[in-house]
Amino acid sequence: MHKNIRFTALTALLVLITVAGAQSKKVVFLSGQNEDVGYTRIISELARDYQKQHPNVSYEYQNNTTDMTQKLQLLAGSNNLPTLYSIGEPSLLQQLYAKGEIVDLEQTFKKLGIYNQLNPVAVDINKKLEGGKLLGLPLELNIEGVWYNKKVFADNGIREPKTWDEMLSAAEKFKQKGIQPFSASGDQGWPLTRLLGGYAERYYGADAMDRVKAGTLKLTDPGFVQAAATVQDMGKKGYFGQGVNTVDYDTAVDAFLQGKAAMFYMGSWELRNFNDPKRNQIGAGNIGFFNLPAVKGGKGTMSDWSINTGLVVAMNQKQNDAALGEWMKYVFSNYGTRSMSELGALTGFKVSKMPATVPALTTMTQRKLNSAKKGYLWFEGYFSPKATSLSQKNVQLLVTGDMTPEDFLGQLQNGK
Amino acid sequence: MNKVLSDWRAIAVFVGPALLLYTCIVLIPIFWSLGLTAYEGSPITGFRLVGAENFIRLIHDATFFKALWFGTRYALFVSAGQVIFGLLLALMYAFYLKKTSALVRTLVFLPVVLPTVAVAQMVSKLFAIVPQYGLINSALHAVHLDSLVQAWLGQGSTAFWIIAAMDIWKAMGFYAILLYTGLVEIPEETIEAARLDGAQGWSLARFVVLPLLAPITVASLIFSLNGTLKVFDSIMALTGGGPGNATTPLTLLFYRTSFTYSEYGYGSTLALTLALQCLIVTLLIFWRARKSGA
Amino acid sequence: MQRTSQAQGTNPAAAGHLTATTSHSLQFLQRLPITLLVLLVVFIAVYPVVWIFMSSLKSSVEFSSSPMWALPHTLAWDNYARAWTEGHMSKYFVNSVLAVIPSLVLVITLGVMAAFGLEIMRWKLSNLASLVFLVGIMVPIQIVILPLFTMYFKAHLLDTRIALIITYTAFGLPLVVFFLAGYFKTFAREIIEAAIMDGATIYQVFFKIALPMVMNALVTVALVQFFFMWNDLLISLTFTQDPDMRTIQSGLLAFTGQYGQREWGPTFASIGLAVAPTVLVYLLLNQMVMKGMAAGAVKG
Repeated sequence: MHKNIRFTALTALLVLITVAGAQSKKVVFLSGQNEDVGYTRIISELARDYQKQHPNVSYEYQNNTTDMTQKLQLLAGSNNLPTLYSIGEPSLLQQLYAKGEIVDLEQTFKKLGIYNQLNPVAVDINKKLEGGKLLGLPLELNIEGVWYNKKVFADNGIREPKTWDEMLSAAEKFKQKGIQPFSASGDQGWPLTRLLGGYAERYYGADAMDRVKAGTLKLTDPGFVQAAATVQDMGKKGYFGQGVNTVDYDTAVDAFLQGKAAMFYMGSWELRNFNDPKRNQIGAGNIGFFNLPAVKGGKGTMSDWSINTGLVVAMNQKQNDAALGEWMKYVFSNYGTRSMSELGALTGFKVSKMPATVPALTTMTQRKLNSAKKGYLWFEGYFSPKATSLSQKNVQLLVTGDMTPEDFLGQLQNGK
Repeated sequence: MNKVLSDWRAIAVFVGPALLLYTCIVLIPIFWSLGLTAYEGSPITGFRLVGAENFIRLIHDATFFKALWFGTRYALFVSAGQVIFGLLLALMYAFYLKKTSALVRTLVFLPVVLPTVAVAQMVSKLFAIVPQYGLINSALHAVHLDSLVQAWLGQGSTAFWIIAAMDIWKAMGFYAILLYTGLVEIPEETIEAARLDGAQGWSLARFVVLPLLAPITVASLIFSLNGTLKVFDSIMALTGGGPGNATTPLTLLFYRTSFTYSEYGYGSTLALTLALQCLIVTLLIFWRARKSGA
Repeated sequence: MQRTSQAQGTNPAAAGHLTATTSHSLQFLQRLPITLLVLLVVFIAVYPVVWIFMSSLKSSVEFSSSPMWALPHTLAWDNYARAWTEGHMSKYFVNSVLAVIPSLVLVITLGVMAAFGLEIMRWKLSNLASLVFLVGIMVPIQIVILPLFTMYFKAHLLDTRIALIITYTAFGLPLVVFFLAGYFKTFAREIIEAAIMDGATIYQVFFKIALPMVMNALVTVALVQFFFMWNDLLISLTFTQDPDMRTIQSGLLAFTGQYGQREWGPTFASIGLAVAPTVLVYLLLNQMVMKGMAAGAVKG
């Protein structure tokens, strides 16, 4: 009895000392999206749960609405990088990794014993983008393709196209009937270059951009020229609707979800809006999804998907200590399940318990994802910041016919 | 008296603080920037000496020449517009309006004080096409001119005219006041004498008033060019230099090169060419003005 | 002023041989086109501003359901509330005030001292110093942005108001110095010299004579600087990354980026909020503003 009390007191003392001695730690997450959506919401929730149990590990979310690359350059220079941050430029990621600023997640996850939480496909895609190392957390697992309005398709007797030509003739038919064929944000630029890249992948096969990176294929080669000419033609024929270059991202989403456009090329991250009845006026059951169709004589097939793990979220190596390790164990062991149950979102983390009801659209997307034979990155995945910017700005000139496909691609080949 | 007025300690007290701040924030950075043109890099990647590489790159850079040409075309056109409309307004104030002149002058001046970003946002809504038609497109639609409904700001050809129109609109009231001040200072006897010689209306304006206004017109033009060559806010807020780089002047190219591509050395080289352009334009106008005896 | 109004009295278009009454109505008819032109000019100048405030009170349905030029059906003051809170315009507003007011005080204080020192005091290098200030008017600010950025970065001044204040002040100085030096030269020199003859010290001269004399000019030049600083985009966009530090112009740019095309009502309201202070100041003090801006241009 007596002994027992002394023992308890000693333990309490020890615990006290440990707690006092453990440095209080602050985990900061910097991202460009709002805190209440998608992965930022889940990370923040899990981090706050963890903070309740471990008050010495506090958490802060910071939302950046300015140019992220510029911001990170600044923070890196002054040794002020946050614990986790989204980083859009693969080349900057490499620079920072070379300077020892970024956590090698494969090593760390293995050390912590949570490597099995990661989906191998997601790991492969990430490594491809990140020079063979796992530097980004696969917080999302997205496939991209064409979402379409089933009712509009049925009303006009159109079925999911299997070839690019079929897709274009469907577009022509919609246009004749006064329906805008595609909704797209030309203001963002990338929704248009995705089509160009997709066409090239169908022409050369899923390794097209890898070959461009390796130098065995040039952006000025015929397949790319044909791809650029096709997208230009779509623009000139008005398939993207009026004033595509002034359409911003949300407007493009709205145009599709309000039934103003028949098709919408987009990634599966938009499922969260598709599943939101307030935003989606055409109904989730009314949305279909097909992969970019095949190109005549091309090597790529419709089982090659554009897959990515969302915007790269990297972690700060300088803060990678035991306390952060414990934090990671908790947050990333629960991340996949929490994302699925709360958002119905697909991630690169294992889901240990499937929720009772998953939105049908999400299940359908998951099936498509599982059927993927090969994955490829988006058009600018391997580009330098400069070539990325050139690609997404100049595509506006391409679709209005103010720049030739050759000129567009020539600039990219030089700036790559 | 000289002793009081030449007291070096008082001079230091009066001029020192301003000169010190100005030297640190304006003068030293100018020289620093000149030095940067021989380097490449950014604070994060570090800088390395590249010698004349940036200048060699400059003369081979098609994007640079495009931006230079756009900026120059824009500046010449907008400055001409600002001064010409200013002059017409000034003539109107002085010769056609009497008591109402003050009110009209005040109202026409109003756009001058508005923030450019706000004006640009307003203009983008005026010319909008999605998700709804803006004022212009809906007016065209209402009078059944649907063929003219277009994405005014989404295509390089029309975007230029809209930016130009906006900047002329915003500044014409200012130049009107400037030139009006000059008009008021023309001695009445001069004008009366010309009238007695039979000069009326246009000939009065052309042969008597305008030559007398020449010095202040030239000053207005310099002032205007000095502003339009450095245009940043209106284009940044209206088109961001797009579509593509169709409306990108040197100032925006500089900004993108420096802060998105992280090429501080080349950015400084672009800034230097911009400064030289401002200098050349000013000297040119001074020289022309002196030659024509104005 | 008076001279012109006399000159305006004789209308060059009126011909002498007509009788008084017919000449009067004919004159009216002849003036009709010009009157219409004047009305058109005023309309073009003012309507867009009216349009902003009108649109800022429209509900979101109205933008698509009724013409863009229609008056608002209901007064959706809610737009302003949303722009003020959700759009963080309140924060941007405060940031702008906290950056602009200290800058104004500084630029005027330093400027009037420097102008006095350059124009009234006698020293060898005063001409050179004036010339040095002149450089600041011609040189584009872009050329100093990168070094300044690096400087502030190293001194940990990025994302602080101090960076904005010292930049605004330094770049405002040339115009203030020139304007006030010109003023001293024209109006104050003889009086000041007389005062010194009477034995006043230089500081007495500055505070008791020079300063009161240029008080009006100070207000004018402060107004002009206010518009430059309040309307600045480049400096605030470059030196503040933190959303909590944004001024009203860079904030408006970000806000319209975020809400952009989707929410026209709050967007117009935020434009209205950015425009309102300048419109108010101008409506109250328009004559002074116009005079000041014109004078600044002529001197510069």
